[in-house]
Amino acid sequence: MLSETASLVFWVIAFVTIISAIFVVSLRNIFHSALFLVLCLFSVAGVFVLLDAEFLAGVQVLIYVGGVAILMIFAVMLTSRMTNSEVRQQNEQKALGALVAFSFLLIVTGAILKTMSVKGGFGLSPSPSVTISTPHAIGRLLLTNFVLPFELVSVLLLVALIGAVVLAKKDGD
Amino acid sequence: MLDSYGTVGIFLVVSVGFVVVTLGIARLFRPQRPTPQKLSTYECGEPTVGSSWVQFNVRYYIFALLFVIFDVEVAFLIPWAVVFKQLGLFALVEMLIFVGILLFGLLYAWKKGVLKWV
Amino acid sequence: MEFPQIDYVAILPEIIICGLALLIMLFAAFLPRDRRWITGHIAWFGIIVASFAVWMNWGTDTRTFAGMYSIDLFSSVLKLIFLLGSLLVVFMSENYIRLHKLEAGEYYALIIFSLFGMMMMASAADLVVFFVGLEIMSVALYVLAGFRRSDPKSNESSLKYFLLGAFATGFIVLGIAFVFGAVGTTSIAQMFDPQQYTLANSFFYLMVGGGLLLIGLAFKLASFPFHMWVPDVYEGAPTAVTAFMSSGPKAAAIAVLARVFVVAFGQHITQLSPMFWSLSVLTMFTGNLIAISQTNIKRMLAYSSIAHAGYMLIAFATGTAEAVNSVVFYLLTYTVMNLGAFMVLLVVEGKEDGDNEITSFTGLGRRHPFLGAAMTLFLISLAGIPPTAGFAGKFFLFKAAVAKGQIPLVVIAVINSLISVYYYLRVVVVMFMIDTQTEFRPVSYPAFLYVALVVAVLGTIVLGVFPTSFFPFDIPLLASGR
Repeated sequence: MLSETASLVFWVIAFVTIISAIFVVSLRNIFHSALFLVLCLFSVAGVFVLLDAEFLAGVQVLIYVGGVAILMIFAVMLTSRMTNSEVRQQNEQKALGALVAFSFLLIVTGAILKTMSVKGGFGLSPSPSVTISTPHAIGRLLLTNFVLPFELVSVLLLVALIGAVVLAKKDGD
Repeated sequence: MLDSYGTVGIFLVVSVGFVVVTLGIARLFRPQRPTPQKLSTYECGEPTVGSSWVQFNVRYYIFALLFVIFDVEVAFLIPWAVVFKQLGLFALVEMLIFVGILLFGLLYAWKKGVLKWV
Repeated sequence: MEFPQIDYVAILPEIIICGLALLIMLFAAFLPRDRRWITGHIAWFGIIVASFAVWMNWGTDTRTFAGMYSIDLFSSVLKLIFLLGSLLVVFMSENYIRLHKLEAGEYYALIIFSLFGMMMMASAADLVVFFVGLEIMSVALYVLAGFRRSDPKSNESSLKYFLLGAFATGFIVLGIAFVFGAVGTTSIAQMFDPQQYTLANSFFYLMVGGGLLLIGLAFKLASFPFHMWVPDVYEGAPTAVTAFMSSGPKAAAIAVLARVFVVAFGQHITQLSPMFWSLSVLTMFTGNLIAISQTNIKRMLAYSSIAHAGYMLIAFATGTAEAVNSVVFYLLTYTVMNLGAFMVLLVVEGKEDGDNEITSFTGLGRRHPFLGAAMTLFLISLAGIPPTAGFAGKFFLFKAAVAKGQIPLVVIAVINSLISVYYYLRVVVVMFMIDTQTEFRPVSYPAFLYVALVVAVLGTIVLGVFPTSFFPFDIPLLASGR
């Protein structure tokens, strides 16, 4: 199990993540939503650190905070009228959506809790056996057993690139 | 492992705290007598023209998109670089294929003129 | 540190297809605009070469890339179906691109990339490979759906498909994470062996993962209740892309469903069966009942594709190898007849951005007997009337289901087929039996489209009359060899 400090840190991070996530979907100013999304993604990086997944934490900051979130803010700024205007983020199916989301939460936590009770301790236990840093381990796996998905990712990125150019480019070459 | 991130945590707390404390103290002590002149945006003493929320050029967006794609590529380069010395030639070839495929993309984008700034 | 052995001969089709896509992409960038039509010819030629490569590997039964990629009869058959579908789509698109002045190079490159993703999915023996393959396929399709950038409907279609598709992808990733948590591996072959499970008694955990995977795949398959996107996306996307979307991704989703739910979770199939049973029934009824009230032919075909997803799910409610074999055959017949219907639609649609109302087919049968007859053939095949391919597909599927005692399900499916006859034949009635004051306008006869149309007509007839002589009905589901 986690040490006292670590679990305290976890709860703080979890609190920040959830509060900022709620702000993302409830604020009326879409620009503020985007900023809270940055905070939310950043705190998820904190969760990764707590889980000893340093590499993922780094990637989370590098790609999500540094790339995707900035892209979103760009997108908001590009649609000029969006920055100032207030938008309603909810619709009539709010209650139904909440119900579905809540039952989803119940099922997922149910699965986790049920499995925990069988095995005892399954959640946030830092594995003491980790002697090799995660980039090392991931690098080895990516370049040996997972070489096929690794190469496929570059094809995927290429397709995304073509797609971006095709859809965002101005007409006439 | 976790302890070394304590420094990061302390740094985070201090940096956030610094802003909150200094602005908070300033708010407590400063006199507050706003007038319309004081509240207007400062633009070199001139009256402001238009909104400061200008619409950006769409070109920025394509650049940002391309940036994210190559950002992801870099994320994959890191673990390769870490283990490169142990894995040797085969890993080099794998990475060359990986980067090579994306190079096609760069070539494509370049030829399509999206990298040109007007 | 040892590197995995890679069997380059076995993955030759994939290498060809990937190289083809890269080549077309470069042509799209470097050829002058007025010569880019050549990419279409490179595309169909490359697809045929890749089909030969698949044929060359026929009977290969091996796993390569550290067991992640399975080249076996199952994947080879599916790859041929994908290749055939893509070939027909490339033939169909040639005229469409010219009429609507689309960017030929990017269009074909994305089609081929999407095909590449599907082939990855068909051969994936690991959930990670499956996932990346799915993404390659989907991202290309999101862009293709919005390929007519000046058309707001196409934009809407692309955006809806992308947002909902990305959401569905999230479920798939979470599902893979849960499955990995439960069994400690992403390899489909190892998952099959309960000895490998890392968590004791993790059935519930595994099933949550499986359920999440199913949500994502049901979205790609266009099954109830994840079918809401289908009509809007199909209607707005360029017609040739709609044709591609309605056949390829469905088949790829079926391939993964078979690998995951029949192979990997094989020992849980009795618990899973009721879930697939209800999904199947609800999907059939939703598709067929809503299709009745459609006046737009693209939307009608969209609901028809939902209904067909329902029929395909029967195989998973049954869960036997025989049922999976017959659903693969069903996919082949569906690809041929559905693409055929879209070809006729493309001809009728012509240059103008038709509203694609069913009434726009009025009098087609009298003025253009071949087109009318072909459309009639495809429609009665979709409805499942003998002696067409659609009937043969349903026959083998229902036979496999009855053999496992799924008689109520088959009865429901037959009732649904009868419902579907109504809305399919309505088009036939409009084509042949309604008198019109005005003659049906002349249509153009683009050569490639007609080649594809003839192939589809022959396929629909031949598969319906001699199904067993063209299709191996004893496909093992995963490569046994190392």
